[in-house]
Amino acid sequence: MNILGCFKIVPDLDMLPEDDWVYDENFYIDVKYVKNMWNCFDESALEMMLKLSDLSEGFNVLFRFEALTIGNEKCDSYLRTLYALGYGKAVRVECNDDLRFRPELVARSVAGYVNKTGDKDVIVMGRQTSDGNNEKTPLILAEYLGWPCITNVMKMEPFDDNHIKVISEIDEGILTQVVKTPCVISVGNVAESYLRVPTLKDRMKLGKQPIEIYKPEDLGVTDELGQATVEICGLEKPDNGREGIIIEGSTPAEKALKLYNEYLKERLEKL
Amino acid sequence: MAAIISRDKIVEGLVNILGKENVITDEKVLKDSSIDRYRKYEQVMEVYTQPIPAAVVYVHSAEEVSEVLKFANENQINVVPRTGHSAIEGGLETALEDSIVIDGSTMNKVIKVDKYNMQVTCQCGVPLQDLDDMLREQGYTTGHSPQSKPLAQMGGLVATRSIGQFSTLYGGIEDMIVGLEAVFPNGKICKIKNIPRRAAGPDIRHIICGNEGAICFITEVTVKIFKYQPENNRFVGYKLDDMKLGFDCLREVMVAGYKPSIARLYDAADAAMHFSSWLEEGKSVLIWMAEGPAGVTEATEKGIKELMSAHPELEPVDPKILEKWFAGLNWGPEQIAEEREEIKATKNIGITTEVSGCWDCIYEIYKTACDRIMEEVPDMTLMGGHSSHSYINGTNMYFVYYYNVVDCPPEEEINKYHDRINQIICEQVLKYGGSIVHHHGLGKARAKYVHEEYGSSFYMLDTLKKAFDPNGIMNMGTLIPLRK
Repeated sequence: MNILGCFKIVPDLDMLPEDDWVYDENFYIDVKYVKNMWNCFDESALEMMLKLSDLSEGFNVLFRFEALTIGNEKCDSYLRTLYALGYGKAVRVECNDDLRFRPELVARSVAGYVNKTGDKDVIVMGRQTSDGNNEKTPLILAEYLGWPCITNVMKMEPFDDNHIKVISEIDEGILTQVVKTPCVISVGNVAESYLRVPTLKDRMKLGKQPIEIYKPEDLGVTDELGQATVEICGLEKPDNGREGIIIEGSTPAEKALKLYNEYLKERLEKL
Repeated sequence: MAAIISRDKIVEGLVNILGKENVITDEKVLKDSSIDRYRKYEQVMEVYTQPIPAAVVYVHSAEEVSEVLKFANENQINVVPRTGHSAIEGGLETALEDSIVIDGSTMNKVIKVDKYNMQVTCQCGVPLQDLDDMLREQGYTTGHSPQSKPLAQMGGLVATRSIGQFSTLYGGIEDMIVGLEAVFPNGKICKIKNIPRRAAGPDIRHIICGNEGAICFITEVTVKIFKYQPENNRFVGYKLDDMKLGFDCLREVMVAGYKPSIARLYDAADAAMHFSSWLEEGKSVLIWMAEGPAGVTEATEKGIKELMSAHPELEPVDPKILEKWFAGLNWGPEQIAEEREEIKATKNIGITTEVSGCWDCIYEIYKTACDRIMEEVPDMTLMGGHSSHSYINGTNMYFVYYYNVVDCPPEEEINKYHDRINQIICEQVLKYGGSIVHHHGLGKARAKYVHEEYGSSFYMLDTLKKAFDPNGIMNMGTLIPLRK
């Protein structure tokens, strides 16, 4: 079974100080000094693929993994990491554009690659990125390909050559289904989302394989098709502040008493 | 040595001295208190291999510390002094059965900010972050900024001879301390007065500074303060291909007589973890920061740039990037909590070991230790490091390494990986004549190398220990290894 994992490298926005949340005329926030990282949903997706392989013993299914990202050469070290972890092919679509709000272009590029190669059974990717937060790419991709899309996936398990067991979160609870391939898997919140780390020896042995590089036009993404479909009209920092009350008092005991009497006592009595 | 009274009697004696509320016997607290971050993997996996202490006690005054130490001394009970619990070389491990952990974090009052004499006196449990934030609000700073600043407290910082990121200007804690108060195992409270300098015999502050809780319990610390003038800070940075050249550049700046507050050299592996958004793979990074009065910082920046212009291989880095990066470097509780989850999920763990050497051997130490570790230790996922504290005669090397814990129960991890890597680093450092410890203390992890580290001067350390702690109750196994 050929599985393509798609990922984006994003700035670690938790490291962006409050004062630096400033954008330019193109609504771009300067994050060049902020450390890069795997987009967390994509990281879950890439690890989920490897776990699928870990679980494959006894299923008689051979999993082959490929990874694809869109961006500049800064992404290559991440692709090499995936080679070192056992991915069979690493692909980069060369693009220096700001893709935060262009899920159509991303989906068209992936669809273009899938159609060009013609051998993919499953596409796995995070449901959203931490910078764009569109939550659209896997759904649009599925539409372009005419494949079903399973959303908010938490886990995948092997089943047989033409099916995969998918566990996902739905409003009513946790859904487990056996899905016929081909399909698109959109990964949601996963408890353990960290990607395993390859050893330096594997990096030396496997990490030096060549990265396949395409331009969007090689994948049929014409200027017209790749055009932005939305215009950014404004950007505002979310207010993460929480309302609070500072309890005054001369000693911790006095403050604790006030906390208990004025805020907790009544609630506790209702329990 | 074992305590001559039972565990219950130890707790009872401590309750009599400090009251029930200050004697903690909760199992989880005791287990957490049996180790420090040297056994990070055991800590994350919640597997405890060290003897569990009899109690953790909170003290509020030098007199209380004195009473507890007298009680321990009379009954031959091992005590482990601690404040911020941020140690990472096993210094806080309770190596003997039924130890008492004396926690000074409750002694957290700033006693006097003396702006005229430019010194601040505080109790041992004052968190450095709180102290420095308070001083900065008033236009002053301690000048001390270790990465553990959000966790570490003043007593522990002095006990381990800590050093901060601005050390190239302000020095290590040993250059900052003025006076000290400490309590010895027989209960004697000693205070060393606050004066600018004196020549009345040996500098006895250094019996206390760096004692790692193996000689006395530090209760009060006075350190110098400095004017805080961040508006004058200047950053200079370069990318380069070669660590040898990097060490040469650090040396040139130091030898020329400049006093930047930061002088750092990251090798490619370490730099990739910090600067992934703008640095090309395989590049090392050199960074300086000048701090102080405007005229001085301007001249320092100019001087460093002039010196570096002789090396066309260096490629300048936008100073704004460095300034922003540096502001987010410290480690606090959030990072530790996140790291814990990551280790649990990936079984991949990151550790550091810091050493020092003169200019003529530091590159060999760095190169040969990295090469040997890569060759001899399995499952390595990253091997690198940086120099972050430079002197006229040499610099430090802060090895940074990550490995996957593979087919290994948590209690075996320390032998299979961590100790083995430490051993290689210590062997290479000793071979080339450096010091195996730059600023985290010997702890228990590196105590086994103390004879090689000290050479003939071990006699002096051993004599100090025996003189001040004849019953062997102070943090046994730290500084001097336990006899098997």
